[in-house]
Amino acid sequence: MDPSGIFPTSYRADRRIVRTRWQLLALALFAVFILLAPYMFSGRTIAVLNMMMISAVIAVGLQICTGYAGQINLGQAAFMGVGAYTASILASKTGLTLLLTIPLAGCSAALFGFLFGLTAARIKGFYLALTTIAAQFIFHFAVLNLPSAWMGGSNGITVPPAELFGLRIVGETAQFYMNLVVTSIMIAGAFGIVRSRFGRAFVAVRDDDVAAGIMGINVAATKANAFLIGAFYAGVGGALWAYLIRFVGVDQFTLFHSIFFVAMIIVGGMGSIVGALVGVFVIRIIQEIIATVGPYIADSVSFLGGDIVFAGMNVILGGVIALFMILEPKGLMHRWNILKSSYRIWPFPY
Amino acid sequence: MVYFINDIITGALIGLLYALVAMGFVVIYRASKVFNFAQGELVIIGGFIVWFTTMQLGLSLWLSVPLSLVLAGLVGYAIERIFLTKLIGESVFSMVMVTIGLLILLRGVVLLLFGPAVRPFPIIFPLKPLFLGDMLIPMNLLIGGIITIVAAVGLSWFFNRTRSGLRMTAVAEDHVVASSMGISVTGSIAFAWVLGAILSTIGAMIFLSGKSLTFLASDIGFAALPVALFAGLESIGGLILAGVIIGVAQSLTTNYLDPLIGGSLGSVVPYIIMLAILLIRPTGLFGWRTIERV
Repeated sequence: MDPSGIFPTSYRADRRIVRTRWQLLALALFAVFILLAPYMFSGRTIAVLNMMMISAVIAVGLQICTGYAGQINLGQAAFMGVGAYTASILASKTGLTLLLTIPLAGCSAALFGFLFGLTAARIKGFYLALTTIAAQFIFHFAVLNLPSAWMGGSNGITVPPAELFGLRIVGETAQFYMNLVVTSIMIAGAFGIVRSRFGRAFVAVRDDDVAAGIMGINVAATKANAFLIGAFYAGVGGALWAYLIRFVGVDQFTLFHSIFFVAMIIVGGMGSIVGALVGVFVIRIIQEIIATVGPYIADSVSFLGGDIVFAGMNVILGGVIALFMILEPKGLMHRWNILKSSYRIWPFPY
Repeated sequence: MVYFINDIITGALIGLLYALVAMGFVVIYRASKVFNFAQGELVIIGGFIVWFTTMQLGLSLWLSVPLSLVLAGLVGYAIERIFLTKLIGESVFSMVMVTIGLLILLRGVVLLLFGPAVRPFPIIFPLKPLFLGDMLIPMNLLIGGIITIVAAVGLSWFFNRTRSGLRMTAVAEDHVVASSMGISVTGSIAFAWVLGAILSTIGAMIFLSGKSLTFLASDIGFAALPVALFAGLESIGGLILAGVIIGVAQSLTTNYLDPLIGGSLGSVVPYIIMLAILLIRPTGLFGWRTIERV
């Protein structure tokens, strides 16, 4: 809700994203902070920030597909993989510039996602969720069994460094700025999508698809669009991933990675772009802590062996998903909104 | 020709094993309207319980098998108490998400408790295959197939004919309506999870008998998933037909098509069949066609 004294008097004002001066100030400060981050932090933090930005693109796509349009999507990592493979094949075989490979990666992932979204014309509910698991399996099958000259088979593909106007983008700082530019564009786009005609159709279909159909919304097309957009975001994220890691292999895009993305949007809050970003931040921090602390625990409790990092990650993320669904199904953003509105209307209860 | 028939029979028996694991999905769905993504993890937990009671405690099979089934039932009950009771009346979406969380939670717990080591699994069914002329049929799959058919007929009768089974069917329709008619939703869901865990443990015994046990065996959950969807989530009897069709198709693809294309098409064939069927009949072969109201 808006603070006292702010009344939108036109649709334009009502659709604004930045609603108060303080929000503008906070946004500007955050932008400055992010822009200067490479000068303030050391290598490890920048690497984590790079990871966060790439995850943010993918999680925002999932947020549009699952959080806004209500279509459970367990194939987001496969869509990301399609994008990563497209970008790395284009970059290594044709030497296209990244200005083309990143959008093309998005488009090919979007096409793959759209194919599965099309089944939404017939299949509903979690039957649909399960067909997205099929996407995951079919992606693995395609990579491992097509001639290895095409997709690299189980060996994966090595990606040449990103290049723009003759400048090679190597090193963490340069990649940081490249990721920052792409991520900012994608997130700004997401804010645009969700407050457009499509975004409103998504929310209507999520809330009740039968009622949405009666109101004149083309339900099947809306669901397919949701998958298309979600997969496009995943594809772009995948391309950034390929350029960051400089190697793609089929093991980087499993069902477990899809579930990690689901965990991010659940923790942050469904149906909120900022929520997706908060979720990415929290989950990546948790992963980072486990990756740092895990080896020490593995040393002191030796019978568990080196798999404790993976196992601990699974236990904590699985527990986080289940606990959030039981205790706080609307996520951290919902808590924050309650806090904010009770501050604004204080001292009145409502 | 003999080999061809042999492949068909083995495929059908493997399909029946998938049907047994898929029965876990269907039973939990039929009595609680929860689609349990963590079915493969229940299989693996069942496997570890059997391993623990026979190999670690050294009990004889006659004692350890019933004990394992009881323990597995308790695990199912505990999962239901901790996670699912709190969600009665919540949206289907939350329930599905919780079971997705359970999927990786249980896998992590199994890894933490038992580690990634490969363990021998007790020989529960005779290792010697059955010879029919030139054909050979694995004994564990044959006995497993019979168990599957008996379980399917029994559970099908239970859910469609008995009073308590029909009560659970009402719970699967709508939690709130069922509880306002005086049906215990909690009881129904608890029963579903206990039964689901027990069926998974039986599946683990058939699947793993005389083989080795690692946490990777939970992949059978995802192999069984297409069978459940192909049959339709509400139909127990239909699982037999769906299992046989998918098992035979997979076996024939693995044996005749894969050598030609040099790949493992066999592992995705179930999913391709499932997608094709779902596009023609959106709720599977025998699933309920529900009428939605706004």
